[in-house]
Amino acid sequence: MNDMHTPPQTHSHEVHTGTVHLPAPTAWPILLALGVMLLVGSLVMSVWIGALGAFLLVVSAVGWFREVLPHEKHVDVPVQHEIVEIEPSRAGVARIEVDETHRAQLPLQTFPISAGIKGGIAGGIVMLIPAEIYGLLRYHSLWYVVNLLGGAGVAGWANPTPEQLTHFRLGAFITANIIQGATTLLVGLLYGALLPVWPRRPILLGGIVAPVLWTGLLHNVLGIVNPYLQQNIDWWSFAASQVVFGLVAGYVVSRSGNLQRLHQAPLAIRLGVESPGLEGHKTEEDDRR
Amino acid sequence: MDAPSTPIPGGIEGALDVTPQTRSRATYLEVLHDWVVTVDHKKIGLLYIGFALIFLVVAGLEAMAIRIQLAVPHNTFLDARSYNRMFTMHGTTMVFLVGMPILFGFGNYLVPLMIGARDMAFPRLNAFSFWVSAFAGIFLYFSFIGGLGLAGTGTAPDVAWFAYAPLTERPFSPGHNVDYWALALFASGVGSIGTAINILATVFCMRCPGMTLSRIPLLAWIYATVSFLVLVTISPLTAAQVMLLIDRYLGGHFFDTQAGGSAILWAHFFWIFGHPEVYVLVLPAFGFANEIIPVFSRKAIFGYPAMVAATVGIAFISLGVWAHHMFTIGMTSLGNTFFTLSTMLVSIPTGIKTFNWLATMWGGKLRFATPMLFSVGFLFQWVIAGLTGIMLSVSPWNWQLHNSYFVVAHFHYVLVGAILFMIFAAFYYWYPKMTGRMLSETLGKWHFWLMIVGFHLTFDVMHIPGLLGMPRQIYTYEPDRGWTLLNQIVTFGAVIQAVAMAIFVYNLVHSYFAGKLAGPDPWDAWTLEWSTPSPPPTYNFPVDPVVASRRPLWDLKHPEDPDSAFE
Amino acid sequence: MSTVPLQHESLAATWRLPSRGRVGMASLIVAECAIFTIFVVAYIYYMGRDVSGPKPHDVLEVPILGTVCLLSSSFFIWLAEHAIAHGNMRSFRIWWAVTFLLGAIFLGTTAQEWHKLITVDHLTISTNLFGTTYYSLVGLHATHVVVGLILLLTVLLFALAGKVRPRHSERVQVLALYWHFVDAVWVVVFTLVYLVGR
Ligand code: HEM
Ligand SMILES: [Cu+2]
Repeated sequence: MNDMHTPPQTHSHEVHTGTVHLPAPTAWPILLALGVMLLVGSLVMSVWIGALGAFLLVVSAVGWFREVLPHEKHVDVPVQHEIVEIEPSRAGVARIEVDETHRAQLPLQTFPISAGIKGGIAGGIVMLIPAEIYGLLRYHSLWYVVNLLGGAGVAGWANPTPEQLTHFRLGAFITANIIQGATTLLVGLLYGALLPVWPRRPILLGGIVAPVLWTGLLHNVLGIVNPYLQQNIDWWSFAASQVVFGLVAGYVVSRSGNLQRLHQAPLAIRLGVESPGLEGHKTEEDDRR
Repeated sequence: MDAPSTPIPGGIEGALDVTPQTRSRATYLEVLHDWVVTVDHKKIGLLYIGFALIFLVVAGLEAMAIRIQLAVPHNTFLDARSYNRMFTMHGTTMVFLVGMPILFGFGNYLVPLMIGARDMAFPRLNAFSFWVSAFAGIFLYFSFIGGLGLAGTGTAPDVAWFAYAPLTERPFSPGHNVDYWALALFASGVGSIGTAINILATVFCMRCPGMTLSRIPLLAWIYATVSFLVLVTISPLTAAQVMLLIDRYLGGHFFDTQAGGSAILWAHFFWIFGHPEVYVLVLPAFGFANEIIPVFSRKAIFGYPAMVAATVGIAFISLGVWAHHMFTIGMTSLGNTFFTLSTMLVSIPTGIKTFNWLATMWGGKLRFATPMLFSVGFLFQWVIAGLTGIMLSVSPWNWQLHNSYFVVAHFHYVLVGAILFMIFAAFYYWYPKMTGRMLSETLGKWHFWLMIVGFHLTFDVMHIPGLLGMPRQIYTYEPDRGWTLLNQIVTFGAVIQAVAMAIFVYNLVHSYFAGKLAGPDPWDAWTLEWSTPSPPPTYNFPVDPVVASRRPLWDLKHPEDPDSAFE
Repeated sequence: MSTVPLQHESLAATWRLPSRGRVGMASLIVAECAIFTIFVVAYIYYMGRDVSGPKPHDVLEVPILGTVCLLSSSFFIWLAEHAIAHGNMRSFRIWWAVTFLLGAIFLGTTAQEWHKLITVDHLTISTNLFGTTYYSLVGLHATHVVVGLILLLTVLLFALAGKVRPRHSERVQVLALYWHFVDAVWVVVFTLVYLVGR
């Protein structure tokens, strides 16, 4: 076509000849396939077709076997090629031009994974405080919130009374711990990865924005996930403990390192992180040497 | 702007294929013999594609019969039983005799060429797999004459493509038509598993020097993933077919509800296969997009590692969502929740892919040749189809719409709007490589625009009767439901699509004889298949290629600025 | 013109790829695992759901002999692999023959068990759910044993005729991989059918 680039070439004009081994064509696969199909088809047709199929199957299996053993049959195809040296003939490749300011402000570093884990654990523990305060004030029981999280309304324990919820129950305790542990840990890890996105205001993002967002989300979908929980949950104390989690986890995570941000870095580095092909290709090369 | 020239260690060398091409005239019989005994991956690929195209037309005609029947209330074009046969055969054919073979065909043709190999890992197994699938297809259609249905006359299967138990048990489906269905799928399953093993071994064991796993074209990655999915999903289907046959022939009770067997177990087994299967079909379409979009945007694909991760991620998630087809069968609320959430999870890796395609196009120099047109159509339609999928994955919503035309619209949006569109794109893109001639661009544009109009008329509108409560798989309806006009629009759209298909088929045939000569590299592309003559000789490459980057042909064409300098 | 890239030609010398036989066999095993999983799930699903007998507890006996034979054959085939890899053809033939024999004994015990179940206990595949699931799961495994035995026998005959050479070691190992898989599946089937399900 019109915009085809023929590579600039210098021919050596020396023709190399060689041979290529290719597997030899053979009829055994199609016969075997026919045999298999007839055998299968005999179930709806007649035994004689099955007998024919079995015969074909055995014959072609043996034939195939002899095709590959002791030596694979092959055909030799003669080929010729010339070695060509390719040299650049044109000035260069057009690059996409982008001006200096047109680029994302990316963080240069992220937090270590351990920061996320620590944050998750710390947040997970501290968030118990508002939740338990609510449970104690309202129902005078440590176990109410635990039971609510750990399985009330699911399967075997449908529709318990509030009274039942105030008593310790081992299954619910274990489930609640697993749920609490896993989610806080995962969210902690997520914080480690996510907070650098807004490096200047980690606490705002992690402590307020994120918890409010997911509390809102939960508020909407909880009815589908676990209607019982939806009916019995107290949204204000729930939101409070989420925010507490966010604040603590966010604080712990962002404490574990002062991230270097792009705009703090010297100009050279700021150019250096450019992906090749945008601008300032030279620095890329320099780094390499 | 002048780019500094970067010398490559060792310089860039190429090997020019100068083997003299001898053209001998062969008789028809010799040509036929050649094709029957061939083990060449390119020929087998073409056989797969040709076989699938024939069935595409057949199943398309079945679809037209369905649409004609539904065009007016109380229509008598088809009676209830033939209508059942039509949608059963349409669905079964499109999935097993069109979708899978056509994708395997492209895989067979392209994967070895793209990774610089001369053939598949097991060339004879390859031929065997194709022929088994082909015979299975012929066998399935033989049921029209041989099936022995109720009255002892020939009939095709009529139990829908998911063949729910216990309808498929002997007492409810006497005669042989269900047997034909089960046996044909069993045999074609054997073929698919064979090809999947072959593709996996090819991708891992046949790469040319330098073609590390982080450099193989994304299409090869996708085919490896798809093959893995085929292994773990077609096998359960095969196992379930064996169980069904045990029930029907040996008096077993797997799905025999009168003897304690469970109909729900069949549903589970079928959808454990069924859902990943739809990803088996759509992933190769993604693969085509991965190759076509960069070339027509003149930019390297954005986020190669993310694309690979998303592919593998989709494959794994798709193994855990099957019961979203079974919300109305009844599950615990835990089950409902789990399958709702896991289904929604698919949208994450899928979203990654979509954004990467957009980012590839962003700022690129777009060329809207026909392959690119179809790719853009695909992007747009795929997103909408994914959204209706998410809607259906919400269990309460699903209780309302399950088995309605809304579902039919959803999955045809994917199967036609995404998969078939990308298959068309692939035809326009690789046809020059396969035949040496370009497909006509003018006809291609007609094909594209008619397809777009017809597709949206049919499948956008089809959502509405679904929302109005029209169930799927009914052979006629009452005039007072308010569905009539909508159905007529749908049928009208189907007619337009049929015209577009006819143009496409005409284009394929006409261009083979009269198309513009293509040359080895008509699109100025970057992957290895374009370094061979068109069509490629049997041996593909005169010497083993040696590559140093993801875009070996870019390096070859631009030694002053090769990708390999940045890897 | 069609030009094949040849960058860094020196690389070609050090280029190593996994063996296609192994990758192919591993893929086949993945597919087989999926098939067995479905049958195992069906077995578990229908366990104890029968309303009419015979029940597993009344008729099944734990096939100790067969199990020991089959599982130990995995060890002997490993010895055989080892022998051929070191070019020791005599011991290869011996260990290979032992493997085949053990496999055959296993098949014999299964045949005996089925004979007893059918003639004495009147349990067939259509009797009840237990019969259906039991015969299909154990039968599926037995089918794999039969295929394995045919392949083992073929190699054995060629080995006795002196046609198997140390350079075939790779192919022999691929075959052995299949046999190991057949044994491993028996561990699952055995545990499920004879230990848990009884
Ligand atoms: C990859 C491309 C896809 C294909 C080929 C596809 C295909 C299908 C098919 C064939 C069915 C109907 C099965 C039947 O009842 O006969 C279906 C139903 C469904 N699909 Fe998709 N689908 C795709 C993507 C998605 C996505 C991305 C989602 C959600 C995120 C989704 C969610 C659903 C749900 C929930 C149903 C069940 C509807 C019902 O039967 O009530 N699908 N899809
Ligand atoms: Cu699905």
